[in-house]
Amino acid sequence: MTRVGVVGWGVYIPRYRIRTEEVARLWGDDPQRIADVYLVNEKSVEALDEDAVTIAVEAARIALRRAGVSRERVGAVYVGTESKPYAVKPIASILIDALGLRNDILAVDMEFACKAGGDGLAAIAGLVEAGRVEYGIAVGVDTSQGEPGEHLDYSASSGGAALVVGRDGVAAELEAMYAYASDTPDFWRRDGSPYPMHGEGFTGEPAYFRHIIEAVRGLVSKYGYKPADFTYAVFHQPNGRFPLRVASALGIPMDRVKPGIVVTHIGNTYNASALIGFARVLEMAKPGDRILLVTYGSGAGSDAFVFRVTDVITERQRAPAPAVEHMLRNKVYVDYAQYLKMRKMIKLLE
Amino acid sequence: MIERRRLSSWASDAGSPAERKIIFSRQGAVVRHESVPMYWRNIPQYYRLVAKRCRQCGAVYFPPALRCRCGSAELEDYDELPHEGRLVEYTVLYQVGTDFLKQKPLIVGLVELNGGVRAVGQIVDAQPDRLAPGTRVELVFRRVAVDGRHGLIMYGYKFRPVQP
Amino acid sequence: MTGVYVVGAALRPAGRHYGENIDDMAAEVLGKALADAGVDIEALFVASSTTELVNRQQILGAYILESLGIDKIPAFRVECGDGSGGAAVTAAYYALASGEYGCVAVVGVDKPNDVLSNQQVDVYAAVMDTYFERYFGFTPLSHAALMAKMYLKRHGYKYEDLAAWAVLMHERGAENPYAYFRRRVKLEDVLSSEYTSEPLRLYDVAPLVDGAAAAVLCRDRRDGPRIMSVAVATNAVPFNMRSEYDTLYSLREAAARAYKAAGISPRDVAAAEVHDSLSIFGVLAVEGLGLAERGGALAALKRGGLRVNMSGGLKARGNALGATGVYQLVEVAWQLVGREFKRADGRYGVVHSMGGVDRTSAVIVVGL
Repeated sequence: MTRVGVVGWGVYIPRYRIRTEEVARLWGDDPQRIADVYLVNEKSVEALDEDAVTIAVEAARIALRRAGVSRERVGAVYVGTESKPYAVKPIASILIDALGLRNDILAVDMEFACKAGGDGLAAIAGLVEAGRVEYGIAVGVDTSQGEPGEHLDYSASSGGAALVVGRDGVAAELEAMYAYASDTPDFWRRDGSPYPMHGEGFTGEPAYFRHIIEAVRGLVSKYGYKPADFTYAVFHQPNGRFPLRVASALGIPMDRVKPGIVVTHIGNTYNASALIGFARVLEMAKPGDRILLVTYGSGAGSDAFVFRVTDVITERQRAPAPAVEHMLRNKVYVDYAQYLKMRKMIKLLE
Repeated sequence: MIERRRLSSWASDAGSPAERKIIFSRQGAVVRHESVPMYWRNIPQYYRLVAKRCRQCGAVYFPPALRCRCGSAELEDYDELPHEGRLVEYTVLYQVGTDFLKQKPLIVGLVELNGGVRAVGQIVDAQPDRLAPGTRVELVFRRVAVDGRHGLIMYGYKFRPVQP
Repeated sequence: MTGVYVVGAALRPAGRHYGENIDDMAAEVLGKALADAGVDIEALFVASSTTELVNRQQILGAYILESLGIDKIPAFRVECGDGSGGAAVTAAYYALASGEYGCVAVVGVDKPNDVLSNQQVDVYAAVMDTYFERYFGFTPLSHAALMAKMYLKRHGYKYEDLAAWAVLMHERGAENPYAYFRRRVKLEDVLSSEYTSEPLRLYDVAPLVDGAAAAVLCRDRRDGPRIMSVAVATNAVPFNMRSEYDTLYSLREAAARAYKAAGISPRDVAAAEVHDSLSIFGVLAVEGLGLAERGGALAALKRGGLRVNMSGGLKARGNALGATGVYQLVEVAWQLVGREFKRADGRYGVVHSMGGVDRTSAVIVVGL
């Protein structure tokens, strides 16, 4: 019996970019030092009329097209984000009507900092395995918040990734998963606060590294993998350095991590960060490859997934749907003033 | 200390003389905000171009019509129109209404969707000097109007040039 | 055959009348028209586009009559957006022709300057399809610009050819004591003005003005120019699905009917007032009325001698929205008899009043 897995994927990255040096110019930082520290050259910026909802819709439309799954067969839609335009009012229900899905399906918004998108994948995989739904769509999306002039201003960016999960037509089978979480307050955003607070270095060892390493070690020891088993390893990417360092700590060679690193080009899309990297790797994977996908959410937790690429991958890679590379390549640069306007950070009387 | 700085209250400066002046000048008899039921009932059209198609002759109506030109009243939902098409003509609109003041100029395009049905939509992510009749466009899902800081965010279709 | 005659009329200079309430402004001009006619009326037809949106006033006719102390008669409101005036005249004509009334008055009024400029755009956008055009930010201007672009391309004109319309209108407006703009402009002024919706510039857009106009119409009372015929036609095709964008369909239909009923042809027209809320609409109206061939209006404009909009049109007199069509009727009637305007060189005049972007057109033929 075939395993549950990823049937199709879709990534949407807004077309606009701001360069690290432009942000540094405004705030009096040394652009070279910033780029060296974060390994982020530029980041994506949503247009004035885009938000987490519109980005989720675009990513999900692409994922459905690539999967070739008719919308009537989708039984669940899960959206993980920390950029809901509404404090109270779901995105998932908007997706039902924008995608023309059935109304008698599970529609859920989830929040676990940057990990909720991946949690949707886990939840839907369970629903499919239990035979409760045929297909589900998991979306990780954010128009990430960062206070102007603060560390996050160099990385917080916008994008979304959607995965169609099911049992029929699987391009990447879900072989194993393992989760790890604890109360570790490394980063948060209070209700009503426009920007998150974070603990700078505290987001590293006790938070990102501990949880990811524990999740991967747990996975490896439970299922008997070796680092060499993974053709690709994709980690959550708050900056360009963290995924490289965590891979090194786990004994995973750099050449297996780098293909899935997109933060250098688009910044940290929070809930979409690891998933966009995963999608990019799926677009270059070959049948038989094994992919390690590890999400991370502050506060704090990490989910580790292992996928085994099937023969279907070639067909999906050729499907008439925009590729991640296409999204990465098509860009228009904006200056800091345009950036503030697009991100709705200029205070208006409304 | 992790919390390095305190966030100032975002509501504290509401009611400054400048703000009061602008709010006053915006108070008019003009009904400014969309009706929520109006938005809600048009969601199939706004989100995914649901049209009507005549069961007798196949003619397609967008916006949806109740009766076909052929005389038939048997129209079914055509869910949904193609998402790709070509620009027939466009203009850059500088004089805009209240909801669009911060988005101007708007590019407004007449688009012929694959299959021949036309729609007028905003063209986004575009530079006007790179547009021309025949430019390939695709449908996108965007914010259309936002009812202030506390009201509803209303979405709908727009178009953007297809990037090679 | 019964005849309907324009026996009295009055106009309020178009402008920014901040000091007056809408009912009083309409009542003042109606009172003057009644004095001009010297008759009592049995019914009032009110043409107004924006009384709810701008003034939060309904049953405007009752409040106008209250100001004048005219009791008991019925008052009807006719709303066809910026084409309300022509439609109200048509309704009044039918009420007289039916034999129900002997004398009625039509008063047109709107006060767009009671709201801010961006709100004027909101208000005017209500003539668009509210769900599928206005919602998305489209206005009469955006769609006129699309039509202008297609018209100019199809008929081989440059924008400079279209810019001549505004120059001519300002020239005419300078001679009209009721016009909002009473100054001439140069072609360079038009060409250097800002884009409002390219290719259209500031001078292609008629200013929204506060205005009021009234006419007293009587049946079988040969005491003024005669309304020979009226016709209103609606275009039931949404803008996006129209087969042609270089013509005004509703006008062509209404003009054909009105000419036929009046027994005249476009060659007989000596005075014409057309709805140039946007310059391109004026050009298309000239063609729709048969005063120039299809695609030939701008060539005719260049040749000179185009006897259209001696008032200066909406461009120079101003776009008083619902009041516009009543202004136009009075202007054509006065041009035929040489009152306030230079006397027209002929016996027939025609009014084109349009609502929305070719949604509805009224054509009124007036004769001596």
